[in-house]
Amino acid sequence: MINEISKQPSPMLQTNNLTKRYEDGVLALDSLTLEVNPGELFVMLGGNGAGKTTTINLFLNFIEPTSGEASINGIVTHKEPLEAKKHVAFVSENVMLYQNFTAIQNLDFFSKIGGHSDLSRDDYRDVLNRVGLAEDAHNKRLKGFSKGMRQKCGIAIAILKDAPAILLDEPTAGLDPKAGYEFIRLLDSLRSENKAILMSTHDIFRAKEIADTIAIMDSGRMIMKEPAANLADQNLEELYLQYMAGHDTKAAG
Amino acid sequence: MLKIIIEREIKDIVSSTKFAVTFAVCVILILASFYVGAAHYNLNKQQYDASVAENLRQMEGLTEWYSVRQHKVFMPPQPLAALVTGISNDIGQTADMLAGSQVITEGSRYNEDPIFAVFRFLDLEFIFQIVLSLFAILLGYDAISGEKERGTLRLTFASNLPRRTYILGKLIGSFAALSSSLIVALGLGCLFLPMMGVPMSGDEWIRLLIIAGSGLLYFGVFLTGSLFVSAMTQRSSSSFLLLLVAWILAVMIIPRASVLTAARAVEVPSVDHIANQRSSLASQLWAESRDAMTNFKPDIDDDDPEAMMKIGSMFSQFMDSLGTIRNDQMSEFSDRINEERFNAQQIQQNLSFNLARISPSTSMKLATSNLAGTSLELTKHFRDETRAYHKVVGDFIREKTGMNPHGGMIIKINDGSEEPEPIDPSELPSFEYKPIRTATAINAALPDIGLLALFNFLFFTGAVISFGRYDVR
Ligand SMILES: Nc1ncnc2c1ncn2[C@@H]1O[C@H](COP(=O)(O)OP(=O)(O)OP(=O)(O)O)[C@@H](O)[C@H]1O
Ligand SMILES: [Mg+2]
Repeated sequence: MINEISKQPSPMLQTNNLTKRYEDGVLALDSLTLEVNPGELFVMLGGNGAGKTTTINLFLNFIEPTSGEASINGIVTHKEPLEAKKHVAFVSENVMLYQNFTAIQNLDFFSKIGGHSDLSRDDYRDVLNRVGLAEDAHNKRLKGFSKGMRQKCGIAIAILKDAPAILLDEPTAGLDPKAGYEFIRLLDSLRSENKAILMSTHDIFRAKEIADTIAIMDSGRMIMKEPAANLADQNLEELYLQYMAGHDTKAAG
Repeated sequence: MLKIIIEREIKDIVSSTKFAVTFAVCVILILASFYVGAAHYNLNKQQYDASVAENLRQMEGLTEWYSVRQHKVFMPPQPLAALVTGISNDIGQTADMLAGSQVITEGSRYNEDPIFAVFRFLDLEFIFQIVLSLFAILLGYDAISGEKERGTLRLTFASNLPRRTYILGKLIGSFAALSSSLIVALGLGCLFLPMMGVPMSGDEWIRLLIIAGSGLLYFGVFLTGSLFVSAMTQRSSSSFLLLLVAWILAVMIIPRASVLTAARAVEVPSVDHIANQRSSLASQLWAESRDAMTNFKPDIDDDDPEAMMKIGSMFSQFMDSLGTIRNDQMSEFSDRINEERFNAQQIQQNLSFNLARISPSTSMKLATSNLAGTSLELTKHFRDETRAYHKVVGDFIREKTGMNPHGGMIIKINDGSEEPEPIDPSELPSFEYKPIRTATAINAALPDIGLLALFNFLFFTGAVISFGRYDVR
């Protein structure tokens, strides 16, 4: 019996009535509660300003919650931010790296501060190949990189961190279709490595293709959350627009 | 972790064009200042030797010591003073030992070459004060705010990196990268000294080393200051603007404003005022002497056949004693009034220094000029040295001639009985100028060096505190 309980996977990423009101009074997040388990890919959809980035920033303790809490591997992020961040990797919507450094040098620096000082040049080359950055760009300075190329480097850094939790804020923004497709395969393999992945995106089709759980956010609230399996035979785009419209009329009424 | 941050910071700085350009400018200026300093030293040394020789030459052929009309001494050039000129160019570097009862120094460099007074020298202190501080600001203003703008801060702090480690690493990294390049430049500059034949004693090398150290501390103040400001601002353009204003205040305004404020607060009698007082006392004393002269009544028997001779000698004795009294009164008065002026000056000076020390630029100036022996102390030191020698010369002349060398008119009747021998100018005791001692100089510099270290500490603490609350998104 006791064994049974301990085998229950405890959520790797968790928020509990997480609320954020910015200094200017904007309520960006309103009592958000969600869980992402190891091996689960949780996708957040939602219009601009819905609160997706705010959620991720709260996980990273970039901002303090107004109330409620977010935790990573059971560690409350605003109480023990350094301890919590050991267990998480992050890719932002616009990855910015050191312009004077090459792709490999950037990987080297960010892996080292992420706690991996044992990686070799081969490891860096392998991971860059895995995310699809052309071989001849590996030793080029970041100065001339396109947004998609930077995005690939950011994803490589997140993979190298080898953390049990991964936060992705519109990671595919700027990726070409081929890279986007490869990224989905990559997510799949990360999931099979038992990572808990929380991703925000505007890409409904990819979301449906890959997600385990799909949530729709609006005005800081989670207005829908379903296992992707339940939505298999529905048109997600239509559903999304319906939900948004329904919420709008509710909000208006 | 710290090591990683430091390494990255150094690599980032060293590979930037901004660094290459500023570093090149800095190296050129530092080398130039050493070259100019060494060249100036050699020129001054030549002039000094020529002046000393000329001074002795004008005594040649004279037959009596009392006919030596002037004996000048000169401040010998010092190698460190060529690098940190301080006030050495502003003060009189010459004093005539036979001009009167008072030693007056005259002939400052700016008096003789006024063009330098307009443009000043390109010395090490100037490079430190202006160039190092700008160098530090230019390379440090975007330390934090720039990383935020470039977006790298966000990814960095997605990892479990303590903020304190990060900012300490940034400070150490940037200080190491920039100061090692400065040390290289200073080391190359030092090579000019032996190459151009400037004699440096072991003590002088030590002092130069501490001067360089103070320069680096001063550089550190502006670097930590830049870090502090950049950790308070979200945009690098605002931190640059703030730092520029702070720089103008620290380097340009505060030192001057402090002197003006102190001048208003403490009144020092002007030299003209003192001269007026002296001349009115002099004429008063002369008037008294004249009165005494008219009352001169020798108690002599009119029938004495040698009466005229006796009266003559009594009169000259009487005049001599009047002269001595006048001299004593004059010098007592001068001493007192000069002492008063000196004390007031000290109070004013201390006040203005302490006010100006709000700016690290003042502390750097005071520390380096104290170390180079060219602080305000030099005026007093040179005066004390020349005064001591003035006594030696006075005693020597008195011994040779039996007369007060500063007394004024000397009448000597040569009865032509013996052929006069020419005097030997080398008999005159020579002026052995001893520069300000190393221990004294270092002690005088220590408080300001401490102050510079304190500024470093305060600014860095400020940077740590404000970065603790910094929005890294
Ligand atoms: N620093 C801030 N100060 C004040 N309000 C903010 C701040 N950041 C975000 N907001 C507000 O919080 C709300 C949620 O913003 P958030 O960035 O989380 O949205 P999002 O879902 O990520 O949108 P997008 O899809 O455009 O990225 C918005 O109304 C936004 O204006
Ligand atoms: Mg967003």
